[in-house]
Amino acid sequence: MINLLNTTRVTKWLVSGPPFLYLTLFFLLPSLIMVVASFRYPGDYGGLAPLFGVEPGKETGLTLETYRFFFSDFIYTQIFIKSFGVAMASTLVCLLMAYPLALLIAHSPRKHRDFMVLLVILPFASNFLIRVYAWMIILGPQSAFSLAVNHLLGWFGIAPVPLLFSSFAVLVGMVYVHLPFMVLPLYTNLEKHDPVLLDAAQDLGANAWNRFWKVTWPLSLPGVYSGAALVFIPVLGMFAIPDILGGTGDILIGNLIKDQFLGTRDWPFGSTLSIMLTIAVLLLAGITAMISRQGVRQ
Amino acid sequence: MRTGLLLVFLLASGSALAADELHLYNWNNYISEGTVERFEKFCNCKLVQDYYGDNEEMLAKLAAGATGYDIIVPTQNAVDSLIKQNALKPLDKSLLPNLKNINPEYLNLDFDPGNKYSVPYAYSTTVIGYNEQKLQELGLPIDTWAVIFEPEYLTKVKGRVTVLDSQRELMAAAMRYLGYSINDTDEEKWKQARDLIIRAKPYWAAFNAQSYIKELTVGNIWLAHGYSNDFFQAALDAKKAARKFTINWRIPKEGAVIGMDNMVVHKSGPRQDLAHKFINFMLEGENSAELTNFIGAGNPNAAALPYIKPEIAQNPAIFPNPETIKHLEFMKDLDRKQRRVMSRMWTEIKLKQGEDDSTYWKGLAVLLGLFVFAVLGLAAYKGLAAPRRHAT
Repeated sequence: MINLLNTTRVTKWLVSGPPFLYLTLFFLLPSLIMVVASFRYPGDYGGLAPLFGVEPGKETGLTLETYRFFFSDFIYTQIFIKSFGVAMASTLVCLLMAYPLALLIAHSPRKHRDFMVLLVILPFASNFLIRVYAWMIILGPQSAFSLAVNHLLGWFGIAPVPLLFSSFAVLVGMVYVHLPFMVLPLYTNLEKHDPVLLDAAQDLGANAWNRFWKVTWPLSLPGVYSGAALVFIPVLGMFAIPDILGGTGDILIGNLIKDQFLGTRDWPFGSTLSIMLTIAVLLLAGITAMISRQGVRQ
Repeated sequence: MRTGLLLVFLLASGSALAADELHLYNWNNYISEGTVERFEKFCNCKLVQDYYGDNEEMLAKLAAGATGYDIIVPTQNAVDSLIKQNALKPLDKSLLPNLKNINPEYLNLDFDPGNKYSVPYAYSTTVIGYNEQKLQELGLPIDTWAVIFEPEYLTKVKGRVTVLDSQRELMAAAMRYLGYSINDTDEEKWKQARDLIIRAKPYWAAFNAQSYIKELTVGNIWLAHGYSNDFFQAALDAKKAARKFTINWRIPKEGAVIGMDNMVVHKSGPRQDLAHKFINFMLEGENSAELTNFIGAGNPNAAALPYIKPEIAQNPAIFPNPETIKHLEFMKDLDRKQRRVMSRMWTEIKLKQGEDDSTYWKGLAVLLGLFVFAVLGLAAYKGLAAPRRHAT
C-alpha cells in the first residue's frame, strides 16, 4: 500500500515536474529578475547600471527612484486608465458578439458543431500581423468598405470620417484578434447545458427572455468569466495593434513598455511599468474573487 | 567505430564549411544581391546575413548577449555607444587600402575620431516626402518643416500626413524648425518642440515608422516625415504601379538629420580576416555604387560617383550640395537622464487628445468607474445570492 502510494507520488512528480520546472525557469525567474531590475539604475547605453560600484560618483545599487518617477507624474496613471478603458470596451464588444455565436454553435446539430468550431479557429492559421495588416487595407480611405460607410454617413449629413488610424480601428483590430478567445470558452460552457432545464423553465411559464436571463446566463457565467479574462488581459498588454492601426493618440500601456525597452533604453522604468500593470490586474481579479468568496461564506 | 569515424569526418567537414562563412548583421534590404554574389566569388566564402529594422533592435539584441556577428552596420550614434561599451574590434587599416576612396568630409567624425573602429557605408537623411501633384494643387511649400508643423498649411492636408514614430527624429525636426541644433539638450527648448508637435498633432493621421511608404504609394497619404531611402522606394513603387502621381522628397531648408551607417567589426565575430576583406571590398567604388543604385542611399564614397546612375547622382536630396550639407546634423546619443526626460515628453505628446482634453479624461474615468462598480457589484450579488438560495 505504501509502495503504491509512493509510486503514485513519483508519477505525480514525473508528470507535473517538467511543466513546473519550465514555468519556474522561464516565467518565475524572469519575473523576479524584472522585479530586481525595477529597483536598479538604467545603464548609460541601455541595459542596467552595474549593481556594485565600479567607479566612484556613478549611481549603482538599488533605488526607489523609478517608482517615485512613476507616481510623481499623473500621465502614467492616465495611460493605465486609458488602457483599462480600451481593454474593457474590447471585452464588452467581444462578449456581445461572441455570445450569440457560441449559443448558435451549441444549439446546432452535433455533427455540424466541430466544423463550426473549426471555422472559429481558422483565422489562427495565418499570422496575426498579416491579419492586422489586412485591416489596414479594409479600413483604408480608398477601400470599398470605407467608401460604403462614408456614403451611408453622407445620407445622414455626416461628413466623411477616416476609419484607419483611429481609436475605432484599434477597437476593431482588438475585437477581431481576440474574438475566438471569447467564443471558445463560452461554447465549451454552453454546450454542456442540459436542454431539459429550458424545457422545465418553459413548463413553469418562463418566456424566452426569462429562460435566457434566469437559466442560460447564470449557468454560463464561468464561461463568461474565463472568456473575459482571456480577452481583457492580452488586450491590456497589446502594442502591435495600436502601432499599426492607431492614430496619433492611441498609445496604450503596451506601447509605453515596449518603448522603454527599445526607443528609450530604460529597462528599470519598463520593468516598473510591467510590475505596476501586473499589480493592477491582480488587484482587480483579487478583489472580484474576494468579494464573491466572502459572500459565499456568509 | 566506423560510424564514429564518419561522425568525426562530418564534424570536421562541417567546421571546414563554417570556417569560410562571414556573418553580416545588417539593415533589412541594405546590400544588393549582385554585390553579395560577387563578394562570395571574390572571397571564396559564404556571406550569412541577419537583419534588423532599427538600431535599438540591434543594440537590444547585442545587449541580450547575441554573438557570432563579424560585421554590423550601425548608425553613428549606435557606433558611439558600441565603442563605449567596448564591443568593437579596432580596424587594421593596412588591410583597408580602399579607405582612401571615402570623401574626407565623412571621415574622422566625432563619434569615432580617426575612424579607429568604423568605416562609412552609406547615409540617409530624414526629410519630407510628398505627393507632387497633390501638393502643387493645394499650393503647399515643400522645402520647409512648416508644412508639417504649421496649422495654416496643415488644414489643407488634415488626415493625410504621417510623421515618424521615433521620439528622437520627430523632436529633431521640430528643433530644426525652431532654429535649434538637434543635439541641443536644453529642456526649455525641448518643451517648445513638444508644444509645437502637440499643436500640429490633431492634423496628422498617424505616427508611422513603416507603412508610410505604402500609404504614399497608393495615394492615401500626401505628406510624410521619413527617411530618404524610403521615399526613393516609394517613388519607384509609384512609378512601377503607373500611378497618376509621382512621389518626391526634399531636404527642408531649416536643415535635417543625417544618419551615417558604418561598417564595424564586432568583438564576438570569429572571422576578422574575412571582415576586413568585406569592408575593403565594399569600399571599392563599383561595389559601393551598387547600393546607391539599388536603394537610393547617399554615398560617402568618392570613387563610387562614376558608377551611380545620373538621375540619382544629380538628385540634391540624395547628394546634397555643400550649402545644404551645412544644415545637416548627425544625431548624438542622449544620456540616461535625458532619455527619461525625452521619453516623458514623448508619452505626453502621444497621450494628448487635443488642446484641452480634461473632459475626455473625466468621461473615461467615470466609465471605468462604472465598469469596476458593475463587476464588483455582480461579484457581490453572486456571492450573497448563492448561499441564501441554499438556505431556503
